Amino acid sequence: MTVETQRRRGNYVERPTPSGLAEVIDIILDKGLVIDAFVRVSLVGIELLTIDARIVIASVDTYLRFAAATNRLDLYEKGGRDLFEVLEGGMESGAKGKVSGALEGVKEKASETFKDAKEAVSGDEDEEDQGEEQKEGRQQRRPAKKTTQRRRREQA
Amino acid sequence: MTDDQPHYVYGVVPADTSPPPGLVGLRGAPVELIQRDGVAAIVSAIDPDQPLGKRADLLAYSRVIDTFATLGAVVPIRFGAVLPRRGDVVDGVLEPGDARFRELLSELSGRAQFNLRGRYDETAILTEVVTENPAIAELREQTRDQPEAASYYSRIRLGELVAQALAEKREAESLRILDALVPHTVAHNVRDGEGVDHLVDVAFLVDDERRDAFEQATESAARSLLGRATLRLIGPLAPYDFVTEE
Repeated sequence: MTVETQRRRGNYVERPTPSGLAEVIDIILDKGLVIDAFVRVSLVGIELLTIDARIVIASVDTYLRFAAATNRLDLYEKGGRDLFEVLEGGMESGAKGKVSGALEGVKEKASETFKDAKEAVSGDEDEEDQGEEQKEGRQQRRPAKKTTQRRRREQA
Repeated sequence: MTDDQPHYVYGVVPADTSPPPGLVGLRGAPVELIQRDGVAAIVSAIDPDQPLGKRADLLAYSRVIDTFATLGAVVPIRFGAVLPRRGDVVDGVLEPGDARFRELLSELSGRAQFNLRGRYDETAILTEVVTENPAIAELREQTRDQPEAASYYSRIRLGELVAQALAEKREAESLRILDALVPHTVAHNVRDGEGVDHLVDVAFLVDDERRDAFEQATESAARSLLGRATLRLIGPLAPYDFVTEE
C-alpha cells in the first residue's frame, strides 16, 4: 500500500492542467447538457462549437499523409545498422524500449509535422466557414476514423 | 439586475452550494445562483448584442464550471445557453428539468470525470507497421525516393495500407487499455480521434474513493506502453461527458 501511494503521481502518465483554448475546446466540445431549444437563444458565433472543430480531412489527403509519414522514417540510420534488426532484437528480448532510444534522432522530425498540423486545425476558427454540407460529405469518406462513440454505465 | 436582461446559464448545482465570492463569468459579469426547490442554476447577466464563442468566452465558461466542480456535484450545460430574461431560468430550465437535474446531481455526487488520451510514438508505431507488413515495406521502398507525381497512386495505396494496419493495432490496444481501466470506473465514453498517432481518447466517470486505484491502473497501462505510446490524463474535471441524453 505504501508503494502504491508513492506511485500515485508516477512518471508514466502525463498529468497536464488544461489551460489553452484547444484543450478546453477538446473537453467541452459537444459536451454538457442541452437545454430546451425553444428558450435558448442562439447568438452568432456559437456555431464554432456546434460543428466538429477537430480534423476533417478527405480520405486521399489522409492516405497521402500516412504515406508521407511512413516514407519519412529512416530505418537505416545509425552507422548503417539495420533498424529492422534492432526492432526484432528488441522484441525478442522483450525490451521494446530500445527501439525508441535508437530512433530518438529521427523521432522529433517525424512527429513535428503532425503536431503542427493538429494544433493549426484545432485552434483554427476558419473551420466555421466550412459549409455543414461540405463537412458531412467529407466526413463520410474519412478512413481511419472509427465510430466508436460508446457509452456504458456499469451502475446507475 | 433587471428581469428583462438576458442571462447566460453555465450549469446546475445543489441549492445549498455557496457560490465562491468574487467569481466572475463571461465578460467579467458576477456569477450568481438562481435557486428553485433544492436545485440552483449558475448564471450571469450577459449583453446579447455581442457574439458569443470567442476564446475568452470559452475559457470563462470552463473556469466557472471547473470552480463549481471543486465544490461538489455540477451538471454542466452545453456552451452557448443564453436565456432571453432572468425569469426564463426558472421557467425554462429549473422547472422543466427538475426531476432530471435531481437525478443527475445525485448520480454525479462524489464522482469526477477524467479524460485519458493515448498517443502512439509515431516513429515507433510506423516502424512496427513497416516491419510487420511486407506489402507496406515494399510499397515504401518503391515510393520513398520517387518524385511525388510519379508515385501518386502507389502512395495512396501505401497510406491506405498503413491506415488499416494502424486501425487494427489501435483497436486491439485500446480495448486492452479499456479492459484494464473500466473496472475502476462508473461509466466511460469513448471519443473519436484520428491521425497517425491516435491510440485512444476516452472520458471516465470515477468515484472519489476509487480514484487512487484508477490512477494507479492508468500508471500500469502507461508503463506497459513505454517507448511506443504515451498516456495523458486530465482531471478531475466536471462531468461534461456524462450529462448528455442517452
